[in-house]
Amino acid sequence: MLKFDVVVVGAGGAGMMAALSASKDKNLKVAVLSKIFPTRSHTGAAQGGINAAMGYRDNTDSTEKHFRDTVKGSDFLADQDAVEFFTSRMPEIISELDFYGVPFSRDENGHVAQRPFGGASSPRTCYSADKTGHVILHALYEQCLKNKVQFLNEWFLLSVVVENGEFEGLVAMDIREGKIYPIQAKSVVIASGGFGRIYWSRTTNAINMTGDGTAACFEAGIPIKDPEFIQFHPTGLAQTGVLLSEACRGEGGYLINRVGERFMARYAPEKMELGPRDLVSRSIETEIKEGRGFGEGMTSYVLMDLRHLGEKKIMERLPQVRELAMEFEGVDLIKEPVPIRPSCHYTMGGIHVSDFETCSTPIDGIHAAGECCSVSIHGANRLGGNSVADVVLFGKYAGIGAKESAKRRIFGGTTKLEQEATEWNAKFKAIRENTVGTSMFDIRNRLAETMWYNVGIFRTESDMAKALETVDELIEEYKDAYAGDPAEKYNMAFINYVEIGNILKLARAVTMGALNRKESRGSHSRGDYPTRNDEQFLKHTLIYKNGNKYRLEYAPVKITKYQPEERKY
Amino acid sequence: MEKITVKIKRFDGRESYYQKYEVPYEKGKTILWLLTMIREEQDPTLNFTSACRHAICGSCAVQINGNAFLACNTSLDEVLDTYKTMNLTFEPLKNFDVIKDLVIVWEPKMEKMEKVKPWIIPSEKGSNEHGFLQSEEEFHQIAAPTDCILCGVCASECNQLAVNQEGYLEPFILNRAYRYIVDSRDGSPQDHLQPVLENDLWKCLHCMQCVSQCPKSIPLTDQIAYLRSSTMQMGAVNNQGAKHAYAFHDDVKNKGRLNETMLPIKTDGLVQTALTKIPFALRMIKKGKINPLHMPKQISGIHEVRRLYEYAEEVKS
Repeated sequence: MLKFDVVVVGAGGAGMMAALSASKDKNLKVAVLSKIFPTRSHTGAAQGGINAAMGYRDNTDSTEKHFRDTVKGSDFLADQDAVEFFTSRMPEIISELDFYGVPFSRDENGHVAQRPFGGASSPRTCYSADKTGHVILHALYEQCLKNKVQFLNEWFLLSVVVENGEFEGLVAMDIREGKIYPIQAKSVVIASGGFGRIYWSRTTNAINMTGDGTAACFEAGIPIKDPEFIQFHPTGLAQTGVLLSEACRGEGGYLINRVGERFMARYAPEKMELGPRDLVSRSIETEIKEGRGFGEGMTSYVLMDLRHLGEKKIMERLPQVRELAMEFEGVDLIKEPVPIRPSCHYTMGGIHVSDFETCSTPIDGIHAAGECCSVSIHGANRLGGNSVADVVLFGKYAGIGAKESAKRRIFGGTTKLEQEATEWNAKFKAIRENTVGTSMFDIRNRLAETMWYNVGIFRTESDMAKALETVDELIEEYKDAYAGDPAEKYNMAFINYVEIGNILKLARAVTMGALNRKESRGSHSRGDYPTRNDEQFLKHTLIYKNGNKYRLEYAPVKITKYQPEERKY
Repeated sequence: MEKITVKIKRFDGRESYYQKYEVPYEKGKTILWLLTMIREEQDPTLNFTSACRHAICGSCAVQINGNAFLACNTSLDEVLDTYKTMNLTFEPLKNFDVIKDLVIVWEPKMEKMEKVKPWIIPSEKGSNEHGFLQSEEEFHQIAAPTDCILCGVCASECNQLAVNQEGYLEPFILNRAYRYIVDSRDGSPQDHLQPVLENDLWKCLHCMQCVSQCPKSIPLTDQIAYLRSSTMQMGAVNNQGAKHAYAFHDDVKNKGRLNETMLPIKTDGLVQTALTKIPFALRMIKKGKINPLHMPKQISGIHEVRRLYEYAEEVKS
């Protein structure tokens, strides 16, 4: 049987940072397992930057201010001890990344450049032009090559195996060979990314952001924390969900409905298009819901019109945006308005991390970092520039935590490992041999549709109850769904099948968390409970899965310094 | 409705064959849309890789009608217009090993990339605790080369690689070496440069295919020129490539034109030329391509040419 001291699942920013710190102990055998080649990971899509109170641009900035901004941004749902740990260590992480060769943009003094960002009281977002995540991802990969980190590329996680509360290891498939392996491990770091693909076409996420690690931990008995908190961005391209920068509205773009109105006049008469993200997103969806959008169903949209800015201004200020609109929507902004619709951007919830310093979960030996988990530093709403910061910093500490776990723990049993591998083999065989049933893509699309309409930007009791019913039906239908590829080797249809199973489970947790949270907080906005209710809901949702049963509990939020107050900007 | 006929090169690990699909044309779509349509609506056994779908992850490069493109940011309409056809043939990238259908293997390329030490060798000016100071101008040196998304388009297009997989380095590898050679934070540029020189740096054919297809418009061939001149500055002037460059440089400076008969002798030396090039030269003479008796005279505008040389020197310093 394959045996490693530490396995890292996922090769994005968090996974590679974890691997680098765990492999500092040369006596440990460390492997990184990733369903895609490492530099394809979604960390690379982060554009704007990474927050750290370096104080280069504004010497009044401090880690304390970063701490306060993050807590306020989270609508007071973040754990303050974890946020303080995070913000106080970010400056040293930036220096570390600089030393790893990350090409940061620079200021006139030669320091890492910093820019202002939403929700930040000082310009503290360090960046590399508009490709910050990309350059960090590549520099970390280079460091992994240098340090001879072992990668298992195109290996797919099938389950995290826990027997009687003890972590045994993982079951994973070597996609290229089509072979399923039990892997014994003393510790693991799950760093598999978010699950924005529960909304399928209506997300800015890469197509493979299906929360595989989160779903596997959920299945193994680890609760999912705060899954109902999902961040939406108002201006995704209509066809693909690809993000168009906030700068479009910033520069004066109009939002227009089918009858030619600048409809924001109805929702934010003063600020118009410059209202906050969540308000603009809700307004667009209202227009579509009330029949004033274009197109129909999941492909509905409104228009963003930039033509009045003129060619010169568009070319000067928004050249990248124009390029994106041309490449991905086939529209030249100078000549035509571009179809847009809000898009799911980030999942604040995830695997319940119970100790932020080691990023460990309630099960000894299992650690998690990045968007797959919830520490929680983002609470009900993440600030721009805090996600890459999160993956790099907590990736590092999860790696150290997993290293210590591996030194402390011994290999566990193999019975359940073998058994689960056998079960997966049987499933693989059955799926390959199946020639009938609903298409899995159809199930995926219907899941996205119900999640989008009922557990999306607007939420009400009745809609969400409907969604829960639909999700349960889809979970049933999924069992006999048709994947369509009988091949053993490189069977991506099977991988997609498992991914769809994962988003179904997670979508159910999202819906359940959202139904039970009878208040509006951060990204979770309920028509029937429009205000925040600290008395009843200043607490974390924890959802457990045991077979087909989902159980919901709440856990207290750690408040150290900042008492909840109204969140005003 | 208008249809696009798509032929895709399939490979199941043993055999390869072409499979035909027909897809109704839609305006304003991308190549990735076309592949996804085929996979989700017609044939779930078709394999290709993609992830971010906005040209940052580098997963989805394929060949269409013989040229390499990133599928996600390539407009279907533009491709149909460029090739003036409704028939598209998809193949995996050239110069890569294929796993299945359009899916290629990257690990061997990364092993090759390790030759140039594709990581920073930090200079003593920085530390893990404080990072580095780097000027804005120094950052601009590394801005374009760090746009590389490792999509493999340049390698697929490279005509030298097509005949010299073992010896030559992929343009993206040269780019990675360049990126650290010009990074002010790197303390040991020669450690990246030496392996570049040892791996046929001078064999680039100047066909410009890599540059013209690079989805990030990275100036790969300018970089190769820079790497070559860096090796000469490092003192590597006695190799075939450098001597060939000097021969060009000197001929044009002296006479304003090349002396093609003398070029191989200046590059390879008399003995080597005699041993390897004579049958070739005889064939060339027979076909009237060269005249060994013709010694090119100085051109009339030689002073202008020399002024160009002086100007180039000035610009460089």
